[in-house]
Amino acid sequence: MNTPRYRNIDRAGAIIALAILAVLPLVFTGRYLVGVLTVAAIYGIWAVSWDFMSGLTGRENFGHSLFIGVGAYTAGFMNTAWGFGPWWSLPAAMLVAVIFALIMGFPTLRLRGPYFALAMLSGAVIMQRLMLIFWEYTGGEEGIQGIDPLLASPLYFYWLVLAVLAATTLLLVSLARSDWGLILKAIRGDEATCLAAGINITFYKIASLAISAAFAGLGGALYAHYQLQVSPQLFAVVTSITIITMVYVGGMGSVYGAVGGALLLSLMTELLRDFGEWRLMIYSLVLIAILFFLPNGLVAPIWQRLRTRLARDPGPPAASAPQEAKRAIDNAVAGKGEAV
Amino acid sequence: MTLLSVKDLDKHFGGLHAVKHVSIEVARGEVVGILGPNGAGKTTLYNLLTGFIPADSGEILFNGHALRGVRPHRIVGMGIARTFQLCRPFVGMSVLENVRVGSLGPRVPAGDLDARARGLLGDVGLAGKEDVPSERLSYGDQRRLEIARALATEPELLLLDEPFAGLGSGEIDELSVLIRRLHQDKGLTILLIEHKLREFMKLVSRIIAIDFGEVIATGTPAEIVANPRVIEAYIGRQEVGHAA
Amino acid sequence: MLEILIFGAVTGAIYAMLAVGFTLIFGVARILNLAHGSFYALGAYGAYALTSVFHLPLWLAAILTVAGVALFGVAVERIFIRPMRASQLAVLMITLAVALVVEQMLFLVFGSEYRNVPAFIDTKFTIGGVDVAGQRVLAFIVSGLAIGGLYLFIQTTRLGSAILAISQDPEAAQYMGIPSDRIFSVVMALSAALAALAGIMAGPFLSVNPSMHLLPIVKAFAIVVVGGLGSIPGSILAAFMLGYAETLVAYLGSSSWTEIVSVLATLLMLVLRPAGIFGRRAAF
Repeated sequence: MNTPRYRNIDRAGAIIALAILAVLPLVFTGRYLVGVLTVAAIYGIWAVSWDFMSGLTGRENFGHSLFIGVGAYTAGFMNTAWGFGPWWSLPAAMLVAVIFALIMGFPTLRLRGPYFALAMLSGAVIMQRLMLIFWEYTGGEEGIQGIDPLLASPLYFYWLVLAVLAATTLLLVSLARSDWGLILKAIRGDEATCLAAGINITFYKIASLAISAAFAGLGGALYAHYQLQVSPQLFAVVTSITIITMVYVGGMGSVYGAVGGALLLSLMTELLRDFGEWRLMIYSLVLIAILFFLPNGLVAPIWQRLRTRLARDPGPPAASAPQEAKRAIDNAVAGKGEAV
Repeated sequence: MTLLSVKDLDKHFGGLHAVKHVSIEVARGEVVGILGPNGAGKTTLYNLLTGFIPADSGEILFNGHALRGVRPHRIVGMGIARTFQLCRPFVGMSVLENVRVGSLGPRVPAGDLDARARGLLGDVGLAGKEDVPSERLSYGDQRRLEIARALATEPELLLLDEPFAGLGSGEIDELSVLIRRLHQDKGLTILLIEHKLREFMKLVSRIIAIDFGEVIATGTPAEIVANPRVIEAYIGRQEVGHAA
Repeated sequence: MLEILIFGAVTGAIYAMLAVGFTLIFGVARILNLAHGSFYALGAYGAYALTSVFHLPLWLAAILTVAGVALFGVAVERIFIRPMRASQLAVLMITLAVALVVEQMLFLVFGSEYRNVPAFIDTKFTIGGVDVAGQRVLAFIVSGLAIGGLYLFIQTTRLGSAILAISQDPEAAQYMGIPSDRIFSVVMALSAALAALAGIMAGPFLSVNPSMHLLPIVKAFAIVVVGGLGSIPGSILAAFMLGYAETLVAYLGSSSWTEIVSVLATLLMLVLRPAGIFGRRAAF
């Protein structure tokens, strides 16, 4: 239930989380942390955008990396070959990603879940091959180098990314909680019934894919201006699966959980840095473990339980249990009141 | 005043001629019944009328607008709503949310959608159950929800597909009362497919009998029951266990 | 012209082995197995390792590899797929995760470089004036035997009838007392064996690397979409269509474009006729 009280708690939680994230690199200075947090935040943008479409409609998109990659490559081309200033990349990346979403979406969105997933996967794989095949234009394996950063200071760039993450999450969570989200969930349930209720399901499916793609592309452009280069690796299946794992950890369909999942998994990746080549394997094993043991995710269920606890607080703060016990003991010692 | 006019509607499924040159007229404010044995093509007819299946040939006019080739959600937006034989509530959503999904179309008057939805739920007898997860409703209540959701789209014509299927006799009586109220109080034109003859005859003013995809008779309930072709086709081949 | 005919046939034959396995497990168990590409990769690497490192003769290496991959397939089905059967998407996710784990293991054991698998038959044949490597002829023959064998198996044995029954109507098959779970394992083994065989045959002219499991999945999917999900004749036909299309493109244009053929074919088919050529069951 999303009563006003819950909304307030959500808002408070979000603000606190945002504040902590923003302040963290000031407390633990050094380029390393800022870098890790920046990438984590970008993954957050990718994860949130994925959950908005796939988590709500149940149509899992296994080719999200396609939108990420085209966004990044757009930034790369615009900034190097076509000589645009770096800030132009952002809207351009979103636009190009949306175009790809429309192209891929029309033939594939009529398919049932697994086939849609595979079709999108195929799209991403082919795009990766295309980047290698047309190496004269795209730089092949090496990709495009020498992209300009958006801001000189890594800290300011991090705050920019954090702001984009916050705005994206806010927008997508609001949409998910509005009638739009209701329609997407209905589409997940039964398309024929949706049609019978007067819903133009084709529009909503394609529009939500386009929205998802736009923000994925935006994240891709930000990533390009962070790494200062783009390579075909961006289109890899691994990226898509990482994002899906993050959303699973966060709680499929919650949208905000995806951010938590992204942060958690990015943290885990960093801690596993020493394992180098084994990282990917551990990642895949984590995914398998989650599918078996935590299908509802970690972040959203925990937050929901926490929120219920916080909401049960009536008004004037009830005395906490230790306080109550102390008072009872004091009374007993003083010879008055109930037995302990 | 003719609300729905169907001329020569035809549909093949591969070798099966499912709907054979069916012509029907429904006047505004009527309650018309569609009678026929299983497999006669009644639900196929509904699917053709509501755009879920494309017709091979023929004409469908609703309020003067041609319906052939129009997509299902647009037909709903023109004022035709339908229910399905098997109840399909939106899983994972509450009763109120189910109705709200139906309230997002172009015909719905502006205003507080939730309040209107609650009103509709009260009309169909689901007051107090707004927050129940829809998949937990009893079958009779799911049926009511289907109707509420259809009503939410603000239709002029309501197509009901075997609304009494799977219900006990008490629920059937309540549902009959509801359907009659929808007709009288809300002025809805209603098309009704049903097997349960007794309730059927009491609700409808006119019956269209269908067998093997073609219209074999139309008339008042009394006329239809006496019609020898209908008797032979329908009652003669009635399955064991159906209430007569 | 004859070159295209021959090379297209060889490519088609290998694709057929790949696709038939994929469509088989789909037709029977309704699952899209993303680890299918891993069976292919393991086939190629297995044969490579056994012949190059352990110096086993080809026929022995092939048998051992096929048997090993088949067992692996059964293990994947039992351990990972079966608990997730309720959700097709969960099966997709978990098989993809398995595929990634396999890729990683191959990478850790063999490294990421492309390795050249030596051809099993060095002799060159001349057919109608065209030089054809013995390996290609072998691949064609093996594919024909394998698929022919599968056809015979399904048509003549009781197990085969059971498989047909389940793919037509899983519930009715269960009511008839057909042990679906055991059949799934058998079908999985067959599917994996075919994919492994395809990998063994293709290895010498494709060169192996750990990520080689991805493209086969994309192509298998394309073939199955074009041919019709769950239809074995459809998969065979579509496999040859794709093989010929790619060969033509390679001759007329450049070999880089071949992979685009499959995705274009998929997308086009999905738009025009989602059920595929022979499909009874549309993908939507």
